[in-house]
Amino acid sequence: MAPPPIRVRKLSKVFKVHEREEGLLPTLRSLFARRFTEIAAVKDVDFDLAEGEIVGFLGPNGAGKTTTLKMLSGLLFPTHGEATVLGHIPWKRDRELLQAITLVMGNRSQLIWDIPAADSMRVLQEIFQLPEDRYRRSLDNLTELLELEPLLHKPVRNLSLGERMKVEFAAALIHEPRVLFLDEPTIGLDVTMQSRIRRFVAEYNQRTGATILLTSHYMDDVVALCKRVIVIHHGQLLFDGALTGLAERMAPYKLIRVSFAADVPVAHLEQYGEPIQREDGRVTLRVDRRLAPDRTALLVRDFGEKVVDLTLEDPPIEEVIEGVFARAEVLA
Amino acid sequence: MRLQRIYAAMFVASFQQAAQYRVQAVLWLLMAVVRPVVFLAAWSAAANAQGGSIGGYTVGDFAAYYVCLTLVSQLTMAWDAYDFEWEVRQGRLAPKLLRPLHPVHYTVVENIVYKVTTLPALLPALVLIAWTFQAHFQTQPWQLVVFVPSVVAAAALRFVFGWFIASFAFWTTRIHAIMHLYDRVVFLLAGQVAPLSLLPAPLALLSYALPFGYMLWAPAEILRGGMSFEQAMLTLGAQLVWLVLSWLAYVVVWRLGLRQFSAVGA
Amino acid sequence: MRYLRLLSLFAQTEFQFAVEYRANLLLDLFEEVVVVATSLIAVAVLFSHTGVINGWSLGQMIVLLGVYYLIQGAQSVVFEVSLERFMEHIRLGTLDFILIKPVNSQFMISTRHVQVAQLAQVLFGLGLVGVGVAQVGSSVGAREVISFVLTLACGLSLVYCVVLVLATVAFWATRVENLLAIFWSFLDAGRFPVDVYPGWLRVTLSTAVPIGVAVTIPAQAVAGRLDNLGLTLMLVGSVAAFIFASWFWQVGLRNYTGASA
Repeated sequence: MAPPPIRVRKLSKVFKVHEREEGLLPTLRSLFARRFTEIAAVKDVDFDLAEGEIVGFLGPNGAGKTTTLKMLSGLLFPTHGEATVLGHIPWKRDRELLQAITLVMGNRSQLIWDIPAADSMRVLQEIFQLPEDRYRRSLDNLTELLELEPLLHKPVRNLSLGERMKVEFAAALIHEPRVLFLDEPTIGLDVTMQSRIRRFVAEYNQRTGATILLTSHYMDDVVALCKRVIVIHHGQLLFDGALTGLAERMAPYKLIRVSFAADVPVAHLEQYGEPIQREDGRVTLRVDRRLAPDRTALLVRDFGEKVVDLTLEDPPIEEVIEGVFARAEVLA
Repeated sequence: MRLQRIYAAMFVASFQQAAQYRVQAVLWLLMAVVRPVVFLAAWSAAANAQGGSIGGYTVGDFAAYYVCLTLVSQLTMAWDAYDFEWEVRQGRLAPKLLRPLHPVHYTVVENIVYKVTTLPALLPALVLIAWTFQAHFQTQPWQLVVFVPSVVAAAALRFVFGWFIASFAFWTTRIHAIMHLYDRVVFLLAGQVAPLSLLPAPLALLSYALPFGYMLWAPAEILRGGMSFEQAMLTLGAQLVWLVLSWLAYVVVWRLGLRQFSAVGA
Repeated sequence: MRYLRLLSLFAQTEFQFAVEYRANLLLDLFEEVVVVATSLIAVAVLFSHTGVINGWSLGQMIVLLGVYYLIQGAQSVVFEVSLERFMEHIRLGTLDFILIKPVNSQFMISTRHVQVAQLAQVLFGLGLVGVGVAQVGSSVGAREVISFVLTLACGLSLVYCVVLVLATVAFWATRVENLLAIFWSFLDAGRFPVDVYPGWLRVTLSTAVPIGVAVTIPAQAVAGRLDNLGLTLMLVGSVAAFIFASWFWQVGLRNYTGASA
């Protein structure tokens, strides 16, 4: 059994930040003895990624997502813990590993602005020492998937934001890496472009079987691409499992959305669940997850034909995540 | 009355801004001192090779001249040409023109504030240079008095001429070439390479006739004590003449350029 | 070798961009001519009053001026723009893209933006050197040429080391552009031989701001005025400086990536 392409054990990163105080005396004092605070950006994180998985890495700003990604791509040394990517220790920066991984950062560009992307690609070909036929094949593949035809020969400066992102992806993938680290890849893009990029990532994963670790703010990214999510906050792992399981584990309630033929006073509904919303004859009740099936049955029995429509839903994933973070805040 | 109050407000704002750029200002000062020191070293070596003096300037005289030149350089600095070209290119000029106050006024204030705030940092550097090269000043009290209008005239001349050059940005975006050419001409003919009297005859004639010498060399030489009363008066007169001529040239070109600018569109 | 191929690719892409702005190229060329010409006039003015300065004749001085522009031109071709961009990378957080590639990062950040278009200045410098040598009338044999080329490379390397060290400081303090700007302006002192400067200035221009040495030594070499001791010192000094600068770069890099010091 081959080792997982990404394997993380008790990975931790502590940053020492110099305290900067206002005023003359503290500033003078700092010339002689600096005071540090330690910020634990990542604390004892464990997880594995299987070959070909796309995993979403969720967390609010400052949760430790980008720090973890940087450690896994070899850009940052951990304070302690271990990790291997494709069997290599990332921060050793073996040539063999660097040939097989890639990093895409949402609002940062690796392309030179003034020259056409095609020229940057040629430089990348040389950097990765790709033989001509392999380079051609990879470029053709990417051109087809991303519709790059008209974009490669214009200076990058002249491309729109969405076009630039497509070309960035091409540059990041020209060497056919087996592990992709995507840090907020759709940030700042318009809705059409976001879904375009999502489709591309999914197709790329299907075609090549690459393993992908993706961080994002946008739930839509995660919902569209990731069957599994890892939730991180204050540097600690809060959840690691199927997206669908997230709601079950983290949110102890479900939502009954019911529409009635005629208006039913809210007071009558309170025995079934907590009414949290009412609009256009449609009421949303929040019910304890375990009681939900029973309450649904009761509603149908008691109101009969007056029930026009009824659905039983998990709370929206954003709410779940927010709930997770809120709880983590309390614990932290 | 209104103009005075506007100026007062601008001065306050400008001082506050200058305080932010303290470090940068000191660094820019260091850069301003390099070129004069380089040429001073060269002339000192040359004078020593000739037995101690060249054309009436001893090593001590050269040192005094270059110290004065550096001071005058700093006091007459005008960088507006560069900023203006950038503003035209960035499209930031149009809104400024809409304001009731001509854009020039703010730059005057900025200019003066910069010089006032950087002078204290420059003086120690000048003292160091004077000491290293054993500067010998021949300044008499009346020359100190005449120096004041001379350096003010030089500053005004450099300021106005700079705006004259800058106005060409109305017509071309390639004003860099013009400005660099202007810099190099100033380098040769304004007294940085040598006190004007030491330039070979054709160049010297040119430099006495053109305005550039009156931007730097004139007040520096007066301060050093290298001019007789008649010479100083003549020089001052030439400075004023060139000031007026430059101002006229600037007004003409600016008006023409403005017309061209509004015709073409911001 | 692979790095040579990379270098040529870098040069090609930058040159393509420069050629797009042909008008600017021509203007730059014109400006170069003006600058070199006025500097020559300045030297001529000096020598209209004296035949020799600190043992340097007019011809030798022209040679020195030529080397000055040679070094100026060479450093703006090879690493000036690249190191400026490096500091921007730190500011914008895009250095990571370079570090994650299977290439030597010092090489990348030092040469990525090779400006072949600036070779004009190098050629002018070379031309001046030729004119000066002809003026001096001394014989230029193999020994002079070899030591000239060697000391030139050393001089360029010395300037590179100082600029690299200054740029490396950007790993700790982000506003280093000012420091570099001062350094560039100090290079102006290289237009005259380092021995015209008095005591402490001369020392500074031979060490902290090595422009004095970088320009004067090659000028002496081509004029046959450099002995083997001087040549050896120059070589040893340059190698030592390069080792130090590269080591310091590694220190900066390790600090940036959080490697335990």
